[in-house]
Amino acid sequence: MRKISKRAQEENRAGWLFMTPAMIIFVILVAVPVVVSLLLSFTKWNFLSGLGGIEWVGMKNFTQIFTADRKFKMALVNTLIYALTVTPISIILALLFAYMINDKTHLRKFNRLCFFIPYISSMVALAAVFRFLFRSDGPINLLLTQVFHISAVPKWLTDTSLCRIPVICVMIYAGIGFSLIVYMAALQSVPKELYEAATMDGAASFRKFVSITLPMLSPTTFYLCIVRLIAAFKAFSAINIMGVSTSAPSLVTEIYGNAFNSYKFGYASAEAWVLVAVILTVTVFQFWGQKKWVHY
Amino acid sequence: MKQQKTIKWIHTVWVTACAVLFLFPLLWMLSSSLKTGPEVFSLDFRWLPEVFQWENYVRIWTDSKVPFWRLYVNSLVISVVGTLGQLLISSMTGYALAKIDFQGKNAMFMAMMVTMMIPAQATIIPRYMMFYTIGIYDTLWALILPAFFNITSIFLLRQFYMGLPGELMDAARMDGGSHLQIWGRIMMPLTKPALVTVTVLSFINSWNEYLNALIFLPSNKNFTVSLGIQYWMQMTDEYNLMMAAAASAIVPIIVLFIFTQKYFVESIATTGVKG
Repeated sequence: MRKISKRAQEENRAGWLFMTPAMIIFVILVAVPVVVSLLLSFTKWNFLSGLGGIEWVGMKNFTQIFTADRKFKMALVNTLIYALTVTPISIILALLFAYMINDKTHLRKFNRLCFFIPYISSMVALAAVFRFLFRSDGPINLLLTQVFHISAVPKWLTDTSLCRIPVICVMIYAGIGFSLIVYMAALQSVPKELYEAATMDGAASFRKFVSITLPMLSPTTFYLCIVRLIAAFKAFSAINIMGVSTSAPSLVTEIYGNAFNSYKFGYASAEAWVLVAVILTVTVFQFWGQKKWVHY
Repeated sequence: MKQQKTIKWIHTVWVTACAVLFLFPLLWMLSSSLKTGPEVFSLDFRWLPEVFQWENYVRIWTDSKVPFWRLYVNSLVISVVGTLGQLLISSMTGYALAKIDFQGKNAMFMAMMVTMMIPAQATIIPRYMMFYTIGIYDTLWALILPAFFNITSIFLLRQFYMGLPGELMDAARMDGGSHLQIWGRIMMPLTKPALVTVTVLSFINSWNEYLNALIFLPSNKNFTVSLGIQYWMQMTDEYNLMMAAAASAIVPIIVLFIFTQKYFVESIATTGVKG
């Protein structure tokens, strides 16, 4: 008995020794900040006023966010627009491209690489390129005037009703690669026999796509929807770099502005927790949905 | 049979055309980065410039205020040191969670998994206060330190260690080897594929980081490549220079990716499909 407990002690010591570096960083950079941020969300505090300036205000930040703050409401609506356009469009395009590339063609690796490059590229660099493309005297408008002879070209980035379009485009562009790779892997695991049987029954390829591919890929599609939705809720770089953070803000640009331009740390923390709540809802939905839809 | 072959080639041509078309924005970037200012907005569009303007690159790389070589050094230091730290810590933690029986293991694992759901945006304000207080605000450490702890990498390595047979380890235990020796000499070398995956993912993440750099690195001398692109967008209206900056940021990542494509694609595909 004694020997076993000595062994257990050793295991304990070794275990915690191995865990120490991760623990230290986890506590300093994750656990404590989460608690502090939660506390801050119930205060009114301008960072520049020093620690003495903290004032406990209870739920006031949250009531203001949901009832009085028009900028926040605009950011929330915009974020939903970004998420609900970028996610489905990029996933559908990724599925189509993946289906086209998958084992029906040559040059698979080269094509996969082409679609994947934007995903690993810096969003800042991509947004810079797209800002250029969408300039009122940029190549897209050049195409519109010279090829399609449209004289009244839109001012993509300065017109408040249009300025979300370039942001959505660059986010779709950057996001396709990830979904494409996941779909290509998932397509490999669809049993070939299903297609063979369908061919025997004389099914056309569109019919096979709808009746075999789509249902077999549904767990993957569900997973991608959740992951890409969460990513879209955190949109920041594209909006900030394209210079539309006042005309078409997202939740994160709004939080960033309040926190690091106005130093309203209390209020910005409250906004950050609203974002957390949104993301957690989606995540919980994922865990719940996994049981229903995802079959391993 | 022959008909099928033709169809396959038609598919190939069509898909490849789409793929190349997809890269147009990036080709546009490269093309513009080698043009003169007026050429960029010329109505008479050409892919290749009259004369290749390599000076654009020379100008941004040797700028007197924010030379790109220094941004590169900063980004490299952050990415390399951050990745090394992440490898070491993820490997140790993954090993402990998979192969050592210690009290509180499951609780620790759960706590880490739960925080995985909380986005970094919720912790960034307290981090700012903390970095300010301990004096690493406006130093590269403000970006390196957070990279050390990555729950996805820990999880990946834990899974990998779980898959390694216990016999190797038991034999070494019998001979009186400590966990430190077993991990360092026997087990860690076996996790090479997972370590390569973590390296590539971590490097690309650090290299492309923007929000944190924007918040924690205000002075010119600490700018990263991302901040450099932003700087050029604010400083100049010369799109050829901006595109040279953007291209300078993207090209090395593409090269890295081409060499490690196999690992990278596999990791995304497996983590992706298995959720």
